[in-house]
Amino acid sequence: MNKLAFVLLIPLIFAFTDEGEIIDAPDFTLEDVDGNTVCLDSLLVDGPVFMSFWALWCKMCIKELDALKPYYDEFDSMGINLLAISVDKARSVPNVKPFAKSHKWKYVIVMDPDDILRDLYNVQAMPSSFIINQDKQIVFTHMGYKPGDEEILIETMRELFVEGNDETGE
Amino acid sequence: MKLVSRVLLLLCVCGLLTASDIRISGANKAEYWVFVDRRLDSLNYKEHLTEKLKLQGNYKEITLKGVFFFWDPSIAVPGSLQYFDFTAQYKKDPVSILYGTYYTTFGRGLCLNQFLDEDFNNDNALFGLKADFKFFNSRLTLLTGKPRNIFFEELTYSIKNDTTDQIRGANFETKLPISKKRVNIVTSFAGRYVRVNRVSDMTPQAFTELFGGNIGLTIGPWENYFEYGRQWGTQPVVGGRLKGEGFLFTTGLAIPGLGISCQYIDYKDIGFGGPGYRYNEPVTPIKSGVSVNRGIDEIGYGTTIIASPFDFISLELSNNKISTHDASMDIFEELIKLDDDMDGVLEQIAKITTHPSFDMEITVGIERVIKQGIELPIQEKIETKPYIDLTYDFGSFFIDVGYEHTFVSSDTSDYYDHAVSFSLGKPEMFVLSVRYERRSRVPPDWLIPKLGEGRSWPMVELSLDLTRRHNLRVRVGAEKGGLICSGGVCRFEEPFRGVKLVLTSMF
Repeated sequence: MNKLAFVLLIPLIFAFTDEGEIIDAPDFTLEDVDGNTVCLDSLLVDGPVFMSFWALWCKMCIKELDALKPYYDEFDSMGINLLAISVDKARSVPNVKPFAKSHKWKYVIVMDPDDILRDLYNVQAMPSSFIINQDKQIVFTHMGYKPGDEEILIETMRELFVEGNDETGE
Repeated sequence: MKLVSRVLLLLCVCGLLTASDIRISGANKAEYWVFVDRRLDSLNYKEHLTEKLKLQGNYKEITLKGVFFFWDPSIAVPGSLQYFDFTAQYKKDPVSILYGTYYTTFGRGLCLNQFLDEDFNNDNALFGLKADFKFFNSRLTLLTGKPRNIFFEELTYSIKNDTTDQIRGANFETKLPISKKRVNIVTSFAGRYVRVNRVSDMTPQAFTELFGGNIGLTIGPWENYFEYGRQWGTQPVVGGRLKGEGFLFTTGLAIPGLGISCQYIDYKDIGFGGPGYRYNEPVTPIKSGVSVNRGIDEIGYGTTIIASPFDFISLELSNNKISTHDASMDIFEELIKLDDDMDGVLEQIAKITTHPSFDMEITVGIERVIKQGIELPIQEKIETKPYIDLTYDFGSFFIDVGYEHTFVSSDTSDYYDHAVSFSLGKPEMFVLSVRYERRSRVPPDWLIPKLGEGRSWPMVELSLDLTRRHNLRVRVGAEKGGLICSGGVCRFEEPFRGVKLVLTSMF
């Protein structure tokens, strides 16, 4: 009974965390599928960062990245860096790049086989998406994907980075 | 309860610390199941309560992390499980030093593969010290740790490995860019050594060494990787050296619109661990995650071609095989054949995904899997599953409709399972799914009694986005059960009839 109360208490403590609350983004340095080093600080010099956690086994993650594909050029013109973080384990690493290329994804595909980034960003559900502004703050978090969710993501990015509201993200 | 109090105290401390420059974040997953035990009558329900809370504090180069887990089953189920893992890490390039619970893989895992598969509830952790040093294009990892394997099967969590084993290892990787002018050419090399000491083993020189390395060569879109691992173990009780080795070769081509990946594996006594767990989980080429004996005696290949000649269509073909060795065959025959006297899996997949319009996606596919000696006591089982799935996005709502038909042919019986599913969802709000699966008949000579005699499995699921960081999933109905696998590790899932509630949060 004590344990059930505890289980109910934990989500209650955090259930009402402010949706618009701005959190500092943890720094990271990982490799992309081409062997280049990807560092958050360096990316933020060029512009804001959108990143989505995905895996080969996650159908909804693939649907999300496919759905965002037509908007890549628009985001690029807005100076947004688009990252697709693959959390596939070491055993699946050789399949990631051929899969991403065959789907004509232009995102920077970052490998996270040891869940370093997944842990840093507390990713519990796949896919999970984050938008980080140039002040290194997480201004948008989204768990899961349903067809149509991409519209909300796109609108958020337009609001944040086209209408000059990138300082607060509110 | 003492542990629960400690975690609550930790939460309070974390709350106070939020006021300073420390960044606190976390995640929580709580599950509650109520289900019928098929061995009992329908009035005898079992419960299953699982809680996993992760908290993390970052202050400049220091990260402190805690994971609190408990599993509390019904009184009728023996045992419960709770643990508190912590990690303290100092990380400032080029150095990273970590103490606590961690996961790591050397190369692709022939020598060491301690990983966490949260979606499969397989926790292969090490507790100890790990240090990484980066310099030029190289990285050196030194580690020591005590392994632990927590695994979920047959509706029960258990610690599969709680030995006195100690693992020590070193891994050195370096990368040499040869040319970046017209074509990107990169080579990479790595060498590694792992030693496992078995404190409890009375055998003289009771330790196992795993060592090896890998070579990689990338020329533009063409990538090649070769890994070799060797095991020098100890013969149980009598002593003396037990030798094993493993090879892994992958090659792949990735250009826009076309991806090809091929894999070759050959393992002879490289898998090392104990009953039900491995310290080096060797790769399986089978996409559905099945292996034969996890690195003891396996040979196989995998080939996948994915092509998107046009934006509205994507084709995927895959042919994968893994089996035991057969000394009567040459290596080429061993690799491609799956004879009756071999244990193994042959998997063939063909899938087409098309977008007739911007709002619609249709997937049509067929999967054929031949399993020999995998689902004992069934010697041979052939499953052929054609399926179709349609998703249509109305803008404010979407629907998903699917149908699959699985023809099953095993040693002594033939039957089929067919399932229809329908989902209705609203972005950022909910998805309501209904699924109905039915079996044509229960074979009279049913070889796996655990599968039960159920013939229909209706299911309703509601996934509700409470906020962007909180999701509640409610599932009511029945699940068929059976063998499910991930990364070469398989478990048998019992049929389920009941309710599942899952609350996932990020904060």
